Amino acid sequence: MLTFFLKKLPSVVMVAIASSVIAFVLPRLAPGDPAVALAGSDASPEQLAAVRDQLGLNGSLYEQYFHWIWNLLHGDLGRSFAMRRPVATLISSRLESTIELAALALVLMIIIGFTLGILSATLRNQTTKAALDVVNTICLATPPFLTGLLLILLLGIAFPILPVSGEMGLLRDPVKGLQYLILPAFALALPQAAVVARLLATAINSVRGEDFIDLAKAKGVPPGRLMRRHLLRNSLGPAIVAIGLRAGELLGGAIVIEAIFARNGLGQLAVSSVQNRDYLVLQALILGAVLIAVLIQLLSEITIAALDPRIRLEG
Amino acid sequence: MTDIAVQSVAPLLNVEGLSASFAGRHATIRIIDNVSFEVKPRRVLGIVGESGSGKSVTVRSILDMLRNPGRVDSGTVMFNGRDLVGLPEAEMRKIRGKRIAMVFQDPQAALNPVMTVGEQIAEALVVHGASRAAARERAFELLRQVGIPDVERNFDQYPHQFSGGMRQRVVIAIALANKPSLLIADEPTTALDVTIQAQILRLLCDLKDELGLSIIMITHDMGVVAELCDDLVVMYGGRVVERGTVADVFSAPRHPYTAALLHSVPRIDSNTGSQLRAIPGSPPTPARLPSGCAFHPRCRFAVERCRSEVPRLEELAPAHSAACWVSAADRMSVPPEEEGLVRKARRTLSANPILQIEDLRTDVNRGSGSFFSKAKPIFAVDGISLEIRPGETLGLVGESGCGKSTLSRTIVGISPVAGGKITVAGRDVSAMNPEDRDTIVRTIQYVFQDPFASLNPRRSIAQSLGEALGVAGVNGEKARERSVELLLRVGLNEDFLERYPYELSGGQRQRVGIARALATEPKLLICDEPVSALDVSIQAQIINLLEELRDELGLAYLFIAHDLSVVRHISDNVAVMYLGKIVEMGTAEQVYGSPQHPYTAALISSTPEPALDARQEKIVLAGDMPSPANPPSGCRFRTRCPIGPAYFPEREICSTSSPNLKETATGQKAACHFAGTPIKAGTRDEAGNG
Amino acid sequence: MTVPQSKPMHRRWFNPSIARYMEAFTTTRGIAALTAIILISALAFLAPVVFPGGYDVQSRESLRAPSFLHFFGTDELGRDLFVRSIYGLRSDLALVYFAVPVSMVAGTLLGLIGAVSPRLGSFVQRCLDIIVGFPGLILGICVVLVLGAGWTALLVVIVVSGLPGFGRLARATLLSQQQREYVIAARTLGVGKWQIMVRHILPNAVDPIIVQGAVFVVSAIFIEAALSIVGLGLQPPEPSLGTLLNNGIRYISRAPTYVLGPTVILIIVALAFSMLADALNATVNRK
Repeated sequence: MLTFFLKKLPSVVMVAIASSVIAFVLPRLAPGDPAVALAGSDASPEQLAAVRDQLGLNGSLYEQYFHWIWNLLHGDLGRSFAMRRPVATLISSRLESTIELAALALVLMIIIGFTLGILSATLRNQTTKAALDVVNTICLATPPFLTGLLLILLLGIAFPILPVSGEMGLLRDPVKGLQYLILPAFALALPQAAVVARLLATAINSVRGEDFIDLAKAKGVPPGRLMRRHLLRNSLGPAIVAIGLRAGELLGGAIVIEAIFARNGLGQLAVSSVQNRDYLVLQALILGAVLIAVLIQLLSEITIAALDPRIRLEG
Repeated sequence: MTDIAVQSVAPLLNVEGLSASFAGRHATIRIIDNVSFEVKPRRVLGIVGESGSGKSVTVRSILDMLRNPGRVDSGTVMFNGRDLVGLPEAEMRKIRGKRIAMVFQDPQAALNPVMTVGEQIAEALVVHGASRAAARERAFELLRQVGIPDVERNFDQYPHQFSGGMRQRVVIAIALANKPSLLIADEPTTALDVTIQAQILRLLCDLKDELGLSIIMITHDMGVVAELCDDLVVMYGGRVVERGTVADVFSAPRHPYTAALLHSVPRIDSNTGSQLRAIPGSPPTPARLPSGCAFHPRCRFAVERCRSEVPRLEELAPAHSAACWVSAADRMSVPPEEEGLVRKARRTLSANPILQIEDLRTDVNRGSGSFFSKAKPIFAVDGISLEIRPGETLGLVGESGCGKSTLSRTIVGISPVAGGKITVAGRDVSAMNPEDRDTIVRTIQYVFQDPFASLNPRRSIAQSLGEALGVAGVNGEKARERSVELLLRVGLNEDFLERYPYELSGGQRQRVGIARALATEPKLLICDEPVSALDVSIQAQIINLLEELRDELGLAYLFIAHDLSVVRHISDNVAVMYLGKIVEMGTAEQVYGSPQHPYTAALISSTPEPALDARQEKIVLAGDMPSPANPPSGCRFRTRCPIGPAYFPEREICSTSSPNLKETATGQKAACHFAGTPIKAGTRDEAGNG
Repeated sequence: MTVPQSKPMHRRWFNPSIARYMEAFTTTRGIAALTAIILISALAFLAPVVFPGGYDVQSRESLRAPSFLHFFGTDELGRDLFVRSIYGLRSDLALVYFAVPVSMVAGTLLGLIGAVSPRLGSFVQRCLDIIVGFPGLILGICVVLVLGAGWTALLVVIVVSGLPGFGRLARATLLSQQQREYVIAARTLGVGKWQIMVRHILPNAVDPIIVQGAVFVVSAIFIEAALSIVGLGLQPPEPSLGTLLNNGIRYISRAPTYVLGPTVILIIVALAFSMLADALNATVNRK
């Protein structure tokens, strides 16, 4: 198990370094001088120098990069030029909203994905099965923003049951907070859940063709036990890989969902930072999102390894 | 037990008129048709047939375990006075694993990879109502009974930690868990090596006597039938063509197919100078079954009636039935065929070897190292020397994992050389630079094991042959002419040019594979298990073709196989490989006539022979071949050697010094410190430590 | 020695020509998908002919509900939303019909680069893995940051986000085909690397890539829409389905039907291409 972890570590470190380099280089690739863009074209040389200093644009590229990383590692994300506040404060004030959204979406994705997947692999009735497949295909082909819009039209406007814009921290008021959260989280989770469901169903159906399933049947194992002990345990791999990859998509999708449901989260911060060319905020957000996505992927690989004795015992 | 006595015993299982079919998209295809047989208590029934004969479908139908979209159409399966056909699923579950148990072909795939072997055995008891503690207790007992060593530790191991032979023992333990009265074994030894097959057959034999089991044994191998079975059912094209006791069927077969099957396989003690008596054509697929008797297109006795009417299974002698119009008419057994044609005289051999290998090593673990560490070398081929002269056939025998395929792939440059020297047509090609490869391509070609995999399914036969001819510089209209020539040479014709591989039978594809190898006019063909993926009745055709080509074109062969009888039939010289090294080498007569290495002796003894007089004490090797990543010190065979330190502790030299290949009293070379020591046949039946 | 001849069967599926894919359009699903795609594309690209007035005709009737005069209603400046949606669709289709093939070809080439050198192949694979590490819109934000919002940024985002999928498929085919016995057979015959690539590996890579291409068209349209919804896509006054939605969301409580039209068109396009992908997939997997 430890050897497995050690084997994975170099590639995780590589991705982390690569994405930090990308986050660092991006603003420097943009045409024009970022300092001029921020300070305005009529700024005096002194003002420009001050802006440069604040953006960490002095010195050679190497110095700039290591200076930036050094500060990051010490928790200093710099100051937002546009908002005139420390980047760390900006991010932490928006963090709760996005974390609540992504976490609930993750939970919904897993629950809905597994339920649909197992159902579609076990249903024997051809009509119900076909109906379920159609529902799944539609979910699969409908991105979060469309689901979100349709939910708003349906549950917010046609039958006004749930609030469709704004938010409330779960910590402040759990009931109200959940009311605001449930629609966006559901919209975010549904298409990803359909992906998980389809992969799980495919995996179960292919395991069904294995000899050891025949052996289990020949032993007299009843269907419920067959699903739990033999089919599901050997089919989890692809579903968990999908969950790992899709968790990253949840972060990306959160940006659009926040725009549609008027939630003031990190996604909105990212969008406004692009419009303001607020580089330091964006660098921190991009790096954070990529690192979280990579860590979730690593976590899913470790889970698979822990479930499979062939990896767990041999490394 | 006389036949009269057998007749009087009530059968345990009686299958009557069983038919099953697969519902396809356009048509329903009948897979088995009106199959009837019975299994008597404490007897072993063999069901023999080739691919598509319906033997597996028959036994799966008994337990209602047909895969979708298969279903039983009609018939009865009486078991203990109850008809199993149409039994509700819940009732059927009480019979599966409890009263009738099943053993599958491939032990690699038959065990759940994420459950420990102990859990899987215990589960068979738990689902039939045993308590967890009792199930666990009984699982320990069962593991001991099937010969798994160190049960306390192995109980909690996962299947991937077991060797193939040990896994098959676990599958058998699962089957025996609830003390069933009938065991169905579906090709239980086909996926195993010959020495492991001997272990498993011995185990089944012992268990049958010990527990009073009845067994249905499905196999394609008449040798296995001769070894284990009492009664026999022969299936062809989904129907039973012959039924009787093994003794009766073997001594006087009533159906031409049975007779041909018995005579078409080479014997380990056979006369190598004559051709095999091959059955022409190939077994039918259920979707396109010939009319009348399904065997008539391949039968040399066929008359008009055989083409139109399906013959009924009729009792032609006491307790011996066959479905054949011809033998029913004259009530005679099939006359033995005339002796096969004696082959043409061979061309004289010149003295300069076409291929010479000296002290060759191949590291199969090269380049698989991780980011931090270089991989530890694994020498699948570890110091091998041999030579082949023009027109000569060297047979290379060994079990899976011994490195024989790695050796052949190293010779043609697919696997890199790690040490030693390869000389092809007088040129040292070990460096494998472009000119070396050119020499190799012009001299050596390769015939692959699996004709389904070695032809690109997207390319027509003309395209596949054209590719080979293109390399030899033959293109355009000329290439087409040559392709037709090549096809005729291998017994096909021009019609095949525009076909695609999926339209061809296995035997036809293998012929195309051979034609492709001949395109560059090589001097040496490496045949890597060229018949082992083919049906029994096709194997003889291909062997005959290879011998014909060798004699006419003066080809040399490096013939690699695990089947000792086939190798004996075709080879001038034979080399036996074990764990990356050659343990014995000499002429076929020397090696087979008086094997000097205990491994060779055990291999020959373990090979099942399709003759009744072959039932004699075997040398059954214990354990499995160790991994080439971790070879034993000294002699590599010592862990399993029946004359080595495992049984004679005073023979310490085997653990300390590796024996060299040296000349023995009988003329061949053997790598054994105690070469030629006689071996006591007997039960050394316990699996090693994996 | 003679061998009984088996009758030649109809040879359909192994013919590696374009005609093989036409099989997909003999099924109901395939015909429906193809008809829908042709109709949608024709309507979109003929928009300047059908609606010669252009997409910017303003009127006083702002934020109206759908009627016979205005199928999808009108927007905040009284412009006909149906006309704007069709012009928007035209922008989207022009974008994906250009970007998706580019991504397919580039991704395939990157995936097959391992045939030249295994080391280079695995390096490229590592790089593609890094792109996968950038979840969805984050990649879009990075590109917009460098290039500024507009056509170029959208093109780059779509091409780059398709690369890992196509590259991985091509590489998987390459690795599995290299292990196939018929490729090894070709090597022992002395057939050159390029010929093996063209004869054995490429034809096998084409099938999954084409199916993935149809799937990716849907993703590409959604990438455009998502970026435009957050305001980082095409900039006004140029309409695209995403920018229409962006505007519509602002008026969602006053004119809920505003977003309905573009949404319906998006769903129709998505379903049509998903069905096409399914039909192609069923065809290439039939053997």
